[in-house]
This record gives sequence, C-alpha cells and structure tokens, in this order.
Amino acid sequence: MAKAVESSGELGTTSPRPLMRDLKAVGKKFMHVLYPRKSNTLLRDWDLWGPLILCVTLALMLQRSSVDSEQDGGPQFAEVFVIIWFGAVTITVNSKLLGGNISFFQSLCVLGYCILPLTVAMLVCRLVLLAEQGPINFMVRLFVVIVMFAWSIVASTAFLADSQPPNRKALAIYPVFLFYFVISWMILTFTPQ
Amino acid sequence: MKQALVDDTEDVSLDFGSEEELAFPKAKIRHPLATFFHLFFRVSATVTYVCCDWFSRSFGGCFVTVLLLLSCDFWSVKNVTGSLLVGLRWRNQIDEDGKSHWIFEARKVSPHRPTATEAEVRIFWLSLIICPVIWIVFFFGTLFSLKLKWLALVTAGISLQAANLYGYVLCKMGGERDISKVTAGFLSHTVLPTVSGLPPGPALRALAVNKANGKWLPCPDHTHNNTTPNHFLTSLVFLEGRVRFQIG
Repeated sequence: MAKAVESSGELGTTSPRPLMRDLKAVGKKFMHVLYPRKSNTLLRDWDLWGPLILCVTLALMLQRSSVDSEQDGGPQFAEVFVIIWFGAVTITVNSKLLGGNISFFQSLCVLGYCILPLTVAMLVCRLVLLAEQGPINFMVRLFVVIVMFAWSIVASTAFLADSQPPNRKALAIYPVFLFYFVISWMILTFTPQ
Repeated sequence: MKQALVDDTEDVSLDFGSEEELAFPKAKIRHPLATFFHLFFRVSATVTYVCCDWFSRSFGGCFVTVLLLLSCDFWSVKNVTGSLLVGLRWRNQIDEDGKSHWIFEARKVSPHRPTATEAEVRIFWLSLIICPVIWIVFFFGTLFSLKLKWLALVTAGISLQAANLYGYVLCKMGGERDISKVTAGFLSHTVLPTVSGLPPGPALRALAVNKANGKWLPCPDHTHNNTTPNHFLTSLVFLEGRVRFQIG
C-alpha cells in the first residue's frame, strides 16, 4: 500500500503508523500462540487483525461445494463467522461478569488468536479428505482435531486464567472449552460433498 | 517517551488563520494520495456490496472482498489519513498493571508543519459521517428484504466504520487547553448524547500533567459508573496545566 509512510518513530507524535509494524506484530502473536509461554505480548499489544484473518480462512475452508449455485455455501459461511464472533463476545462478557480484570478487546484478541491451531487442523483435515474415505480417514482426522483442540485450550488458558480470581477459574474456562469444542465439531463433521 | 507524548498533545482548534495561508503555497489538496485512499476504500466497499450480484454469484467471494476493503479502510483511516489530514489520532494502551486506556490525541498546529487544507478536512469529515449512515441504511435494507445472510457483513461494516467515526469525534471534542474551553466543550459533550443519540459512553477520567516534571497525575477517581457532569467539572476545577481526556 502506498500509504505505508514511515513515521519518525516517536510514539508521541500523531504521524502515520507504518504498515510493517502492524504486520510484524500480528506474526509475532501467531508465534506466541504456537509456542505458548507465559508472556504478555498477546495481552499488552492486542489487535483483532489476526482473529479476522483466521475467521475468514476458517469460514472459507468450511464452505461446502455444492452443485446448485443458489445454495452456494451462503448460510454456512456467515454461520461460521457469527459463531466465532458471537461466541467470543459471549465468553468475554461472561468473564467480565465473573470479575475478571482483563479488558474486552484483550479477551477477544486472545480467543481469536487461539483459533490458530484449529485452523491448522482444518487444513490438515481437508488434505486428509482428498484420500479415500473410510474409518481410518476418520480416525486420523479425529486424532488431529483432538490434539489441536487441546492445544487451543492450553494456549488460551495460559493467557486468560491469570486474569480471574482463583476460585472462579473453572467457571471462566468452561465457556472457552465449549467454544473451541463447537468449532472442533464443525471441523470434524465437515465433508466436502 | 512520556515526555514526547506530553509535548505533542497540545490541542488547538483547527481553524486556519491568514498567516498560515501565506506561509504555505496555496493548494486545494496537500495530501492527494491520502485523500484518494481515504475515499477509495470506503467507496469501493460500498459499491462492491451493492453491485456484487452483477460481478459474481459467489457469496463467499463477495463477502471476503467487501470485508477486505472495509478492513483496509479501517486501518488506513485510523492510522494514516486521520493524522495526515486532520492531525488526530486515537488508540488504546495497556499499562503495566493491565489497565486499558483509550487515548485521543490532536496535533498542535505549528507554523513549521503544513496542515491540511479546508477541502481535505471537509472531505475527511463528510466521508467519515456519511459512510456509516449508508451502512445503517443497508442494515435495514437487508433486515426488511430478509436477505439475512448479508446481515453479518453489514454488521461488520457498520461496526468498523462507526468505530472510526466515534474515535475521531472524541478526539475532536476532547483535550482543549483552557479550563473554560474544557468546561464549554464538556457541556456540549453532555448535550450531544441526548440530542444525537450517541451513547453517553463509559466514564471519562481526566489525567492532568504536572507541569514541573511532566509526570501524569490521576485526578480523583469518580469513575466506574457513569460520571455525572458535576463530578467531572469539580474535578477539573482543581486541575492545573494541560488536561488530556482518557476513557478508562
């Protein structure tokens, strides 16, 4: 984009913000999700571009290719979108009502970025589905989805659990579990035809 | 870093005196690229949404294209054209103890920097206000024509465009230099929500700068529930120096 004007670098000025800085920040957060450590990057420097990219990618891959052009995957596409964003907002509201000290957008950021393992699972499942269908095919996909589901839960718990008082942790994590379970279910039950 | 933050957030209203006109060459548009891109993404997102049935029958393709254009527009208006065209910026900052602050800044008008022309400012604000209105019209259009699968896209469009509008309006309204201007501005801020139906917003918390050492001092904490105007005005009376509005 022609407008990636380099600012003079001072945070205090109101000069334009470079594009590369934002892209690098998104990439860094993806790395943090893949290798979850106790670090504050996802929380301190939140952005919602990563969740948007992941959401769109997942929705595109979950489209059913059908013969009839009228039903061209419309409802399924918007469905995935709505489930992800509405689910994330609901979990955030729940965690705030339970007294968590994380802000609204930080929570959305973490939940969105932790969809990355499931997106990888979707990619793998689509590749596996190119081979012949059968029980082995299903077992492989089930294994991959379970592993990635566990990865998502671990990654999001690492970031979100600290924000809750100790006696409320389970109450806050349980909706996260449900959220990723629903997405994993959509991925597992996907068939291209 | 904090010092730079402090020095650059002196806010002066953006009226263009005659000496400025003489200092810089008369041009209708000083930032042609920025103005072009400010308009390009918004208009093409709207046009693509309206005309997508003619281009392709794929719902997913149209959805993704419009969403991509809306995202590009959001990013460019928030990060680039706002500061180039009108010298305003809004952002969120999380400090060490995890508290989130929304920061609204306006650039001080200085004789050494060319500011934007009136045409650019007018283009900026007009397109900032008109586009969310158009998307709200689309929202009711999809609702009443029952094409509900487009509702997700239209909601995304409204939220992205309205977020920029809200941020810049708060930038423009907050952070005046004199106490009298601040109180006048704040009265208009309380009148404005009732008149225009904008939400009253979260509690406003003003931070004052201690002029001696440039450190930020929090003012007495009346926040957490909606601050009534009286509390806010009394806390302002005790403040000296520059006031910067933060939504906490």
